[in-house]
Amino acid sequence: MSAPDVDLRVFADYDGDVREEADAVVVGSGPGGAVAARELAAKGLRVVLVEEGPPFTPADYVQDGGFAMARTLREAGLRATRGTVMPTMQAIALGGGSLVNSAICNRAPAFVLDDWSERYQLAHTTRADLDPHYDAVGAYLGIAPTPDAVQGRRNLLFRDGCEKLGISSESIPRNVRGCRGSGECFTGCRTRAKQSMDITYVPDALRLGATVLTSARVERVLADGRRVVGVRGRVVAPFTGRPGHAFEVRARCVVLAAGCMATPVLLERSGLAGPSGQSGRNLQFHPGVAVMGIFPEAVDPRFGATQGYQSHHFLAEGFKLETLWAPPAVLSVRMPGSGVELQRRLLDLPRLAVWDAITSCHRSLGEVVARGRGLDPVLRWKLDPLDLPILKEALFRLAEIFFAAGADSILPGVHGLPDEMTSLDQARVLRSHALRPGDLVLGGNHAFCTTRMHGDPARGVVDEWGRCHHLDGLYVADSGVFPRCPSVNPMWTVMALAHRTAQAIAG
Amino acid sequence: MSGAIGVVAALLVGWIAWRIWGGHPPAPWDAALSRREHAFLAAVAEAVFPPGGPLPRSGVEAGVPGYVDRLVAVSPPRQRRLMRLLFFAIEHSTLLFPGPGVLRGRRRLSAQPLAARIAVLEGWRTSGLFARRLVFASLRALVTLGYFGDGPVQRRLGLEPFAIDSPVCEADLIYPRVGASRGDIALGLGDLTPPSDGTPLCAPGAGAAG
Repeated sequence: MSAPDVDLRVFADYDGDVREEADAVVVGSGPGGAVAARELAAKGLRVVLVEEGPPFTPADYVQDGGFAMARTLREAGLRATRGTVMPTMQAIALGGGSLVNSAICNRAPAFVLDDWSERYQLAHTTRADLDPHYDAVGAYLGIAPTPDAVQGRRNLLFRDGCEKLGISSESIPRNVRGCRGSGECFTGCRTRAKQSMDITYVPDALRLGATVLTSARVERVLADGRRVVGVRGRVVAPFTGRPGHAFEVRARCVVLAAGCMATPVLLERSGLAGPSGQSGRNLQFHPGVAVMGIFPEAVDPRFGATQGYQSHHFLAEGFKLETLWAPPAVLSVRMPGSGVELQRRLLDLPRLAVWDAITSCHRSLGEVVARGRGLDPVLRWKLDPLDLPILKEALFRLAEIFFAAGADSILPGVHGLPDEMTSLDQARVLRSHALRPGDLVLGGNHAFCTTRMHGDPARGVVDEWGRCHHLDGLYVADSGVFPRCPSVNPMWTVMALAHRTAQAIAG
Repeated sequence: MSGAIGVVAALLVGWIAWRIWGGHPPAPWDAALSRREHAFLAAVAEAVFPPGGPLPRSGVEAGVPGYVDRLVAVSPPRQRRLMRLLFFAIEHSTLLFPGPGVLRGRRRLSAQPLAARIAVLEGWRTSGLFARRLVFASLRALVTLGYFGDGPVQRRLGLEPFAIDSPVCEADLIYPRVGASRGDIALGLGDLTPPSDGTPLCAPGAGAAG
């Protein structure tokens, strides 16, 4: 393959308005959209993939935490929910979130999918139904457990702590080939080991004849009565969003994969939210909490897979545990203290590991509504007090694993409790303390359910093949279709469902 | 009589305005933020990362105000406005809420001595009010990002990025750098290099800076 053989447009090359005709137009090039586009192109459909962000090359990646976020994330990485304030992120780049996530690939547990099937009338969405789609994506991306050679000490300490406590743990399966342990997943993989969508499914879709419009923001889905007929929008400059030429893609099928925070905004803007009133509602996250641990000797946290080990031991109790790394500047934001005290703590960074929990807080719901002219939403979300015990237990378990692994102390990051705890006995207060939502430093980077699938058209937006209940030719292929949070990292499930949706479209 | 009152009132307004906004050194000529905001950020950077601490650079020496200025400049307009509102709110909070007794009267934060600034910010950090803690956390996040943007600080902590030569993959023949044209791509099939072989960047136990 060489550059002239494919139809990819970048911002600098648009020299006028664009009009395209296709069998299918896919909006968004993240894990859902990229898989759908490639699979549809492989079936011989004429596909146009539209992405608001630009493609990034390794030379475009910056390792500085602040500027990396400003360049690759919507709202410069400063997006947060209202109600219970919680930061949340959405990428704006070719490849979407896969460019800046840590490549974790977990299949949704069978008990989760059984629950979805029963609760939301989704008879064909059991684990057995989805496994062929997981397999296809897994084989394509080379999803495999992280090798020990690139785990780094901060990941292996987690394994050791779990082993001592009899807590099951495992090396994290990731869409990575040849990881070298740079720990730079969140700022873009300079070793090109991460098999993000921009270097896998998107080039493959291009090779199969798809057209890819980058720096192109869809502003409206076009419909003729019940039938969608295409999309319309503007070319936008990278980073500034300054609008330029207009574009329109006419197609008999529209696949929305703009992410669960943008797809409902697009439907609302287009006047196509539908009669059920479900579009934009039911927003769920995996609210995350993290604990830092200081070890007596060097951990060398710079080296190692960004997230290399995890434990599904407590999934049924509502949380998953995992290791974590990020640009030190971003992690240090969580460190307690100020002035000389903060500087002293920063000196502990070479002996530090960070582990986190993502939680299934099913009672904590919110909504997405349009704001301004772009696709940035207002996110309203509230942590239900009845979900707090899950977070408390998760914090305690993280503390327990740290001390079992030999940590000298932990920094739990909970307001109203000591900044630093030096024993497990002291950490028991994490379980007993009367927490309020505002006492926690939460993060919510998995978002779901805003265009959820449901067998009953009055209670959902799409069916289990991603087909919109109230419009012909409209499909959704992002995490918005999840009817409930999946309890584990969602990317592989998004891709599996998109794979199935593409098959349904192609017939 | 009324003229004299007017003059006094004007002087009073002028004096108040000077106390609130005046007396700042000029900002760099290409700055996105005003000189008031630069002075505020320098004052906060000095309080959060004071000179003479265990790390060799203070917040000001690490160039925190310039870093935040550049970050504000590349942020979308809404986030830019919110950041500037944050700076304004904290800078002037001490006019309404003087805080702990070390404060020298009702002055904006950047006009307070270092010890007073540290005390005020610590009050925000440990406040019982979530909103105050959130405001402080937002400000400290920006200042901390700036502090880590400094090479000597990264090196002192052994956390500078690895030197990595990226392999050339098929995607690199398709995508130009952000902002460039596809016609600018100088790579061809002959430039493709073997993909990453998975050799760890750091030998186990080699040390953070190894």
